Amino acid sequence: MSLLREAERCLANQHAHNLNAFITPLSRSGQWLDRVKEADQRSEKGTPKSAIDGRLISIKDNICTRQLPTTCASGILDKFTSPFNATVVEQLEGAGAVIAGKTNLDEFGMGSHSVHSRFGPVKNLRRDSAGHEISAGGSSGGSAVAVAAEQCYAAIGTDTGGSVRLPAAYTGTVGFKPSYGLISRWGVVAYANSLDTVGILGTNTSNPFSTTTIPATQPVSPNPHDHEFSPSYKPPPLSTRLTSKPLRIGVPLEYNISELTPSVRTAWLLSLAHLQKQGHTIHPVSLPTTKHALSAYYVLAPAEASSNLAKYDGVRYGTRADGPDGNGQADGVLYSNTRGTGFGSEVQRRILLGTFSLSADSMDNYFIQAQRVRRLVQRDFNDVFSAQHPLFDAQAAHSDSVGAGASAGAEVDVIVCPTAPSSPPRLSDLTGDSEKSSPLDAYVNDVFTVPASLAGLPAISVPVTVAESSQDSGADAEELAGIQVVGQYGDDELVMSVGELLAGNRLGEQ
Amino acid sequence: MLRPRPRGTIRLLDRLSCPVTRPQILYLQFRQFSSLPTRSAPTSSSSVQPDSDRVPLRKQLKQEAKALRAQKRQRKESEEASREIWELTVGVEIHAQLDTTAKLFSRAATSASDLPNSNVALFDLAFPGSQPEFQAATLLPALRAAIALNCDIQPVSRFDRKHYFYQDQPSGDIANPAPPEPFARNGYVDLYDYDGIAREDGERIRVDIKQVQLEQDTAKSQEYPPSSQLLDFNRVSHPLIEVITMPQIHTPATAAACVRKLQAILQACGAVTTGMELGGLRADVNVSIRRRGEAPGNNHYDGITGLGQRTEIKNLSSFKAIEDAIIAEKNRQIAVLESGGVVEGETRGWTIGSTETRRLRGKEGAVDYRYMPDPDIPPLVIGEDLISRLQDTLPTAPDQLVVELTGPEYGLSIEDAKPLIELDDGARLEYYQDVVDALHSIHPGQDDITRAALARMAGNWVLHELGGLLTKADRAWDSEIIPARSLADLVDHLQRKLITGPTAKQVLAVVFEGDHRPIPQMLEEDNLLLRPLSREEYLALAETAMAQNPQMVEQIRSKNQLGKLGWFVGQMMRTGEKGRVEAPKAEEVLRELILGKA
Repeated sequence: MSLLREAERCLANQHAHNLNAFITPLSRSGQWLDRVKEADQRSEKGTPKSAIDGRLISIKDNICTRQLPTTCASGILDKFTSPFNATVVEQLEGAGAVIAGKTNLDEFGMGSHSVHSRFGPVKNLRRDSAGHEISAGGSSGGSAVAVAAEQCYAAIGTDTGGSVRLPAAYTGTVGFKPSYGLISRWGVVAYANSLDTVGILGTNTSNPFSTTTIPATQPVSPNPHDHEFSPSYKPPPLSTRLTSKPLRIGVPLEYNISELTPSVRTAWLLSLAHLQKQGHTIHPVSLPTTKHALSAYYVLAPAEASSNLAKYDGVRYGTRADGPDGNGQADGVLYSNTRGTGFGSEVQRRILLGTFSLSADSMDNYFIQAQRVRRLVQRDFNDVFSAQHPLFDAQAAHSDSVGAGASAGAEVDVIVCPTAPSSPPRLSDLTGDSEKSSPLDAYVNDVFTVPASLAGLPAISVPVTVAESSQDSGADAEELAGIQVVGQYGDDELVMSVGELLAGNRLGEQ
Repeated sequence: MLRPRPRGTIRLLDRLSCPVTRPQILYLQFRQFSSLPTRSAPTSSSSVQPDSDRVPLRKQLKQEAKALRAQKRQRKESEEASREIWELTVGVEIHAQLDTTAKLFSRAATSASDLPNSNVALFDLAFPGSQPEFQAATLLPALRAAIALNCDIQPVSRFDRKHYFYQDQPSGDIANPAPPEPFARNGYVDLYDYDGIAREDGERIRVDIKQVQLEQDTAKSQEYPPSSQLLDFNRVSHPLIEVITMPQIHTPATAAACVRKLQAILQACGAVTTGMELGGLRADVNVSIRRRGEAPGNNHYDGITGLGQRTEIKNLSSFKAIEDAIIAEKNRQIAVLESGGVVEGETRGWTIGSTETRRLRGKEGAVDYRYMPDPDIPPLVIGEDLISRLQDTLPTAPDQLVVELTGPEYGLSIEDAKPLIELDDGARLEYYQDVVDALHSIHPGQDDITRAALARMAGNWVLHELGGLLTKADRAWDSEIIPARSLADLVDHLQRKLITGPTAKQVLAVVFEGDHRPIPQMLEEDNLLLRPLSREEYLALAETAMAQNPQMVEQIRSKNQLGKLGWFVGQMMRTGEKGRVEAPKAEEVLRELILGKA
């Protein structure tokens, strides 16, 4: 199929489905048509610019694009267009890709179900067994659905605590979060910048892989302001530092929590069995700090968010509320009107949380404590991986490694675990006044994705299907689960290779 | 109403008289000023007064000067009285714009004079998706400052974010290195009597520097009442250096001297370019008092215990404002405590010309800046090699300059050395050095005494003669007005007695007006070189003068009124050919003729 026909089909899908995946969809006509045609000619001549030359790639709407608005799904930026392209956008366009539109998300990336959007919730293409609309996951839900509904070839998202992996698991797509910093964050609107990572979503492992390699390996200079790839900062090698073959697969015992639904547990076990069958060995490992990781994440991320979002005051850009800036009192709070109406409830909740945890009285008990937990989470991973963390001093890493004995004999190449503890919840349970819409319930969905984020490790979520015979209920939507592969910092390629072994497999008990 | 007070009230001056006498002084200035456009003769102003009340201007000025002295004395006495009871403690915090071409976190230029909002990078406006790009070069002037202030430089320091909402601060948060990890600390600055410290502080006092920080400036905002504010973001992210002293100063004059000294040091080491006069440096002071001889106070700041509750006075923009504000705040606190009240820890402001500080914000600590390590800026690691290189290349410190200028090589007085160092942000001193260098190059190999004499003479001309012309013409300093080489030539000719002093001054004025011919050429062409008179010519001149004033000659001879010799010298210079009569030679001849000795 020609690139043009593929693009036209994506465009048709964008308009056919009413999934609210895009905030700004692709226009029916425009310069992009010529660019795809030129890519077709290059393809015929056998001289494509790259593997994604002429492909449509969606961009999450918290990544800056000069041609299309960048709203972050927020009222405060609902009419904002950035004066510059994010580095990742420059890189993709430089490789011949065409921007397929800007995808919907949880406001500023804060959410796990893509329902906290000024432009309405994203709908999953799939439905549950009872035919109810289900969550697409978040916060990159729009990007995941755009991929699942074939509205684009691949999509760019951002993953701060699981925002690419969770929607991938819920929509049956592949979601890859590279090592922190592998893809430039220049032009990515900050939510929690010590965690924010540009990620890629695709329909099978080859799409995200070929797409990842563009920003991850292309020498960057379109944007002279980009520092993350300046010559003094060599990116970690994308090539695997594979130490053993067959692979040693780690199974973190702490991830076998009581909240794990049976179908997810089955998918995990079958995935491990599948890998074992191919000759790889399975090893139990211990990541003891995991149970504190989620709490630490929900202290750190809101703290950074409260700082990063302080800039939205409607003065220099963005949407400003009518009337006076303050709350009317002489000594009143500046911008309370603009920020009160511009930000949605979840963003406000996290700003308040972060403001609290950074305040002088609670800094030590919350922010500092959470940073300590973050260190422990990193140490847990360093203890179980056979590969050395390239950014850590080897001796320093081991000298403070107190509980290293527990898994000393079980050094592994990658860790395999579920992406989310359960299947996607119903949208009706998440919106409105439903009792089940407590923010804490949403936060729990991130329990397996947050540790890799805190440690900055590469992680991929791949869809596996469990054969009906192995299911007690046999319900259609319960069959699909996201399995996550986590590797040592810089082992992005290894993580993707293991993901490829699992992705799309129909697994049976036999 | 606009009338000098009768003499009687002036005698009644007391502490309350300050506001009474002040309007008189203002009035005088006002009257002179307002009379200028319509009447050119200064005497005409007095004719405005009714005849009966008429006081001659000279008398009036005398009265007012007297009143001012009385007021000063009164103030000094009451200050001294209160000092015996109360001890004042002051700490100083200054913010100065660093001399850098780029901003702290963006590549935008720091130029202050450009069109508003023309030097602004996306990050300076906190655009979504923009990131800080730390400009390592901005660190160099900051490090020079830290070295010049004798600080320990931390090998690793960190950038913290500080949060508050204000329209002049685009990100709502500013990234700056904040506690607990300043990049330099534990320094000190020595203040000497010639720095203008209070007399009771003796010859020298050392003030410890708590820490030196890098910060960034805010936007400039301009109010357009009733409801508009204009914002110029050119200044945003301009690197600032913040210097905080320990609360170790006990007199207002010394606090002002401390800020002046800090400014001089920062300018001398090339850390900052503009001083307080141009808004490049602002000072905050914290002020507390405690009763002497009583149990120590309960407050401690920066490890100094037993202090009274302190208040902070923000944004003082002149040395005088610092001194005045501290005195006013000290007196306010004394009044509060003496009336049984409690001093609140608060932030106060000061308006130039006022007599009281005013409350700006409530209790200290009410603003929680919620410091957070900045995730986008890696820690700063400063190598030993960099520090030692900067140490080696640091320009001479002001105190060292004073020692050198007053030493045998230059032989300047301390009164001349100080202004030379301080004037025109150091440009005057640079110019002086150029003149001295030029003098040395004219006659290499001169002996030390001649060199010192030349250097001293050059100091006088750079400071007083040239300074006088500048003041008279109301022109700003510019080293090109009189090229250093021209002044050197002039001083050289004068020193070698090839021209007379009056000629030299006259030539200087001509060059000042824009005649840029080389000095030797000008002297030649304009026939200004001294052609010495012969002994006969001197004798003739002297005899003419004596013949015209025989009674004065007689007075000198009989009453030994030698002072009158000078009058005869003047006569000879007036009657002789202009610029040729040398006073010492004239006097010599006169003595010989009148007193009969050589």
